[in-house]
Amino acid sequence: MNIRVILSICLLTLSVILVFLPLNQNRKDQPTPFQQLELLSEKEQGVSVDLAARYMNENDSTIQFIDIRTPAEFLECNIPGSINIPYEELLNKEWQGYLNQTAKINILYANGVIKSNLALVLLNGKGYTNNDVLKGGMNEWFTTVMNEEEFIGERLTARENSIFENRRKARMLFTEINNAPDSLKNTFLKAKIIEESKLDGGCE
Amino acid sequence: MAPLLSTPDFPIWLNLLTAVLIGIGFGFALEQAGFSSSRKLTGMFYGYDTTVLKVFFTAAIVALIGAQFLSYFGLIDLHRVFVNYYYVLPAIIGGIIMGVGFVMGGFCPGTGFSALAIGKIDALFYLLGGLLGAWIFAEVYPSISEFANSGFKGPAKINEWLGISPAIFSMIIIMMAIAMFWLAEKAEKKFARPDITNEL
Repeated sequence: MNIRVILSICLLTLSVILVFLPLNQNRKDQPTPFQQLELLSEKEQGVSVDLAARYMNENDSTIQFIDIRTPAEFLECNIPGSINIPYEELLNKEWQGYLNQTAKINILYANGVIKSNLALVLLNGKGYTNNDVLKGGMNEWFTTVMNEEEFIGERLTARENSIFENRRKARMLFTEINNAPDSLKNTFLKAKIIEESKLDGGCE
Repeated sequence: MAPLLSTPDFPIWLNLLTAVLIGIGFGFALEQAGFSSSRKLTGMFYGYDTTVLKVFFTAAIVALIGAQFLSYFGLIDLHRVFVNYYYVLPAIIGGIIMGVGFVMGGFCPGTGFSALAIGKIDALFYLLGGLLGAWIFAEVYPSISEFANSGFKGPAKINEWLGISPAIFSMIIIMMAIAMFWLAEKAEKKFARPDITNEL
């Protein structure tokens, strides 16, 4: 056989072998679990309470607040517009639709700092990238945003003014929705879940 | 040297040295295949010499299979390989202009340089003409920029458009290539010109 026939047969055989090989076998540039943990401790984590208040005021549709406390604590008071995924149920199948997506950024919050950061480590380990925490949790929210501070000084700078307005509006929204009777809160939450599931489409 | 060996940080001079060595290898491959001769190159258009098709298509197939095997062994990240953006109509018009220039001049830019390296004067004028064309394009660009950026389809790949896996697409390409080489042999016999392919 001349060289051309040999070459053609070689190339064809190689391509047939290729058909049965999986593509993207080893991604060497994907970080190992230890590197992932290091990356986590380097990044500045946390959405400040003022920023969260702004997101809530403007009903920002690219942000989703997730309350990881128990349902009882959630019903007592929560950031309006947030959904409740208890910490123990974070890896359950029914919540993966909220956690494993790239459309919205999830902001996890609890009363303090520890649980939300633990939840963040958990979700990062699973490879979900669009998650963040609320710096200081609900405790910080109450001391900063809900605290009606007195103004000291002669003139108000534009920045202080905007922070003040932001917090005042957040306070109004927060107290209004959280003081609604329990039944109303439940229906508000259910309506939100139903509306979002309708947007999904497809089979259950 | 990305996408190959992506993790270590190579110094700039090493990347440039690799580029120079690859360029030398490319020029050597062109010259030893005989592509410094404009007769061989235009032979592809008139049909009497199909060396260009065979050499370049074989190189493309080897690169295709090689890249996919390297991706399987984890040495290349195929997602980091740059894919040229596809502008529908500007690509067609540009191809026509390039094709007309190729047949009239008898060189394409890469082979023009390898012919210049062996001392051909017409290659020198061909390259000067190429530079003139680039200057004219730059001067005229503001008025054609809207057309030049129309029909943008992003980094389009045929196998993604057809919806088949890259490996099956490579197999189809190889079978097409073998069929085309066989046809090329027949065409050479049909369009043969006396004694023209033996001179350089």
